Amino acid sequence: MLAYTFRRLLITIPTLLVVIGVVYILLFSAPGGPFDSERVVPEAIQAQLMSKYHLDQPYWKQYLLYIWQLLQGDLGVSYRYADWSVNELVGSALPVSLAIGGLAIALSLVIGVLLGALAALYRNSFVDYFVMALGSLGSVVPSFVLGPLLVLAFAIGLQWLPSGGWDHFSWKFMVLPVSLLTLINVSTLARIMRASMVEVMNSNYIRTARAKGLPMHLIVFRHALRPSLLPVVTIVGPLAVSSITSALVTESIFSIPGLGILVVNGAANRDYTLVLGLVVLITTMVVLVNLCVDLMYAFLDPRSRA
Amino acid sequence: MRNMSQTFLAASLSGVLALSSLFTWAATVPAGIQLHAEQTLTRNNGSEPETLDPSLIESVGAANLTRDLFEGLTSIDAQGKIVPGVAEKWRQVDPLTWTFQLRPQAKWQNGDPVTAQDFVYSFRRLVDPKTGSKYARTFGDFFLNGKEVSTGQKPPQDLGVRAIDKTTLEVKTAHPVKFLPELVSNPNLSPLHAVSIEKLGREWTKPGNLMGNGAYALKSWQVNSKIVLEKSPGYWDADQVKITRVTYLPVEDGHVDVKLFESGQNDWVYMLPPGSYDSYLKKYPKDTRNTPLLALRFYSIQTQSPFFKDVRVRQALSMVLDRDILAQKVTADGQLPAYGLIVKGVEGADRVDYEWANWPMAKKVETAKALMAQAGVKPGAKFTFSYNTSEYHKKMAIFAASEWKTKLGLAVELEAMEFKVLIKKRHDGQFEMARDGWNADYNDATTFVALVKCDSDQNHSRHCNKDAEQLIQKGLKESDQAKRKAALNEAIRLIMNDYPIIPLLQYSLPRLVKSYVGGYSTDNQMDRFRTQDLYIVKH
Repeated sequence: MLAYTFRRLLITIPTLLVVIGVVYILLFSAPGGPFDSERVVPEAIQAQLMSKYHLDQPYWKQYLLYIWQLLQGDLGVSYRYADWSVNELVGSALPVSLAIGGLAIALSLVIGVLLGALAALYRNSFVDYFVMALGSLGSVVPSFVLGPLLVLAFAIGLQWLPSGGWDHFSWKFMVLPVSLLTLINVSTLARIMRASMVEVMNSNYIRTARAKGLPMHLIVFRHALRPSLLPVVTIVGPLAVSSITSALVTESIFSIPGLGILVVNGAANRDYTLVLGLVVLITTMVVLVNLCVDLMYAFLDPRSRA
Repeated sequence: MRNMSQTFLAASLSGVLALSSLFTWAATVPAGIQLHAEQTLTRNNGSEPETLDPSLIESVGAANLTRDLFEGLTSIDAQGKIVPGVAEKWRQVDPLTWTFQLRPQAKWQNGDPVTAQDFVYSFRRLVDPKTGSKYARTFGDFFLNGKEVSTGQKPPQDLGVRAIDKTTLEVKTAHPVKFLPELVSNPNLSPLHAVSIEKLGREWTKPGNLMGNGAYALKSWQVNSKIVLEKSPGYWDADQVKITRVTYLPVEDGHVDVKLFESGQNDWVYMLPPGSYDSYLKKYPKDTRNTPLLALRFYSIQTQSPFFKDVRVRQALSMVLDRDILAQKVTADGQLPAYGLIVKGVEGADRVDYEWANWPMAKKVETAKALMAQAGVKPGAKFTFSYNTSEYHKKMAIFAASEWKTKLGLAVELEAMEFKVLIKKRHDGQFEMARDGWNADYNDATTFVALVKCDSDQNHSRHCNKDAEQLIQKGLKESDQAKRKAALNEAIRLIMNDYPIIPLLQYSLPRLVKSYVGGYSTDNQMDRFRTQDLYIVKH
């Protein structure tokens, strides 16, 4: 298992090199550059800016230079946020996104699995209809509608919570965004859990267990729950990464200084180094999360351990 | 203040423009107004500033912040009037030379005196191509040798600015610049504390490092969340500064901005979302403010493109566009229709509308149709209109396209793109017609003339009227203000009759400001508010 984990971690390096290369090509082929603005910058100044950021070098050299910087842990300076380095920007946005996205994904996992399991066990009952209705609602109503509704109800109507903003991880500012992300994720997870559990409950070995006269709670907890979780685990990896790194709608509705807004502003302003830095971060996260998912598989499904 | 200096300068160029330092210029609270116990303000700034380095700032948001953190030679008060800043008085020695007398009480946050040398350092740094400022030429071109320095032909030391002594600054201009006292109020021309910058390098704008001389000091800065400034006790006019803490928000989404306002977390909505002005005016009549800005919405026409080569085609398209419907029904946020290059409130040239501006629409359409026929353009002809993706611009573009289709039978292909892509297309001349707009950098007609004059990098139409160019050059060299104005008026008339652009609307800024924010004024047409001019009324 250790050797496998180590091998998987090593694969991260070529993956990163390729991803950075592809993003480099995409960024440089997009029309418009970081220093294009309403005003045409005089040539002497443009040349100065290009050389300051090494943008006057051949592309391959810039790529190698970037990799060299990256090896030293330096993600470069941002063009859009000129007073800050990419390390500083990511360093201040990542904890915010981790807090919001991480809390939301943990909550949705617990609530989603619970609701999905209940719906499957009480199929075609009121509980099932309720969970499915909730699931459909979360899937069809987009977050840019749900979010403002939450704000209207809890911030402007009842005035219990702030409508947005951020203040040193104060819980008050986290309740609404975490709720919104949780609501959306729960709807996906509950539906998947329900479908998977229904299938497991209909399988032969559960039927055997029932025929043996095992009590229901034992059947569910000992035999049905673990295999039912497999598809949930598959989906929770990418869901977690997207909740943390690209919760842009949630971030803008609640005006949260997270990673999503950096990604969008970076791309729109052709802030090459910021976009690359975020790509490195997101790629690393995806690789690590996928590794965790695979390890969870081994734990949940004895067949995959072989 | 400008009128005062105008009258005076007309009387005598060598006279002394004395603006007594006995007066204080920060928040003046009218008698009978009771102040709130807690003097704090939260104002949304519309976006995250790109930097707080005055030499490098280019956005309105960054300018708002640096206006609080630094104080230039002069300032603009809440009514949009020029008031003394670090300079307590100034005089024009000859048409090309000015001297500014600095107040000895002006201090940096660490107690160092603000000297004339700090301005020399700042002006040179702004124009020096090594700094990489996008405003190097905008302001540099006004100073003696500014153009040569910004293009690298002369060293920064040759810039026409020098410290005569610690408190006297001499500025030499490349041509007569009557509005220099207003020009130097721009935050790009704030003084800079050289020692801090040289010692700290790129880190100098961070909280704890930023050395300013303004009414406020940088307390904290969380990117994309908020910037907090606190009253600077060492500021020379600190007694008159009422607001003790101001929080700037970077919220871009107008709807989110309004929600923060409604939940009491924001006192100042940067700009209302498109199409919502009327409803908020009804909902919050006391808080809704709308200021016509010194800014023009227009469409640029690539005059060298085959479709628009003929001036008659350009004129026809401009004539049939109903600005009244555009202003009242399409954008519906209190903007004024525009029929010329110069908008209401701009100094240095008259606002002149096209002669057909008030014709009945039927007559305009009839004339336009005749012009199209003479130019040989048949109904069904097609051109492309480029705009940057935004609901607002899209609404306007669809309206314009429908006007040209129904009235002239033209087929318009609408092409939406990212802002960066549009900017590049406009600069490269790779378009037929494109959405455009301009916000005055300073209150003088030349900031708008730059949009249509020959060899200007902002002239996206690539149109050049040689006769007009001669008049402009003549006007710029003129120190007699009446003659300068007459030359510019005539030049603008000549250019606009060539129809290089389609003027549409004068921008306005509809926003919500809590009624308890005292000192706010809709006369401030450049939207330049120093927090020190505001106060919180008891509520």
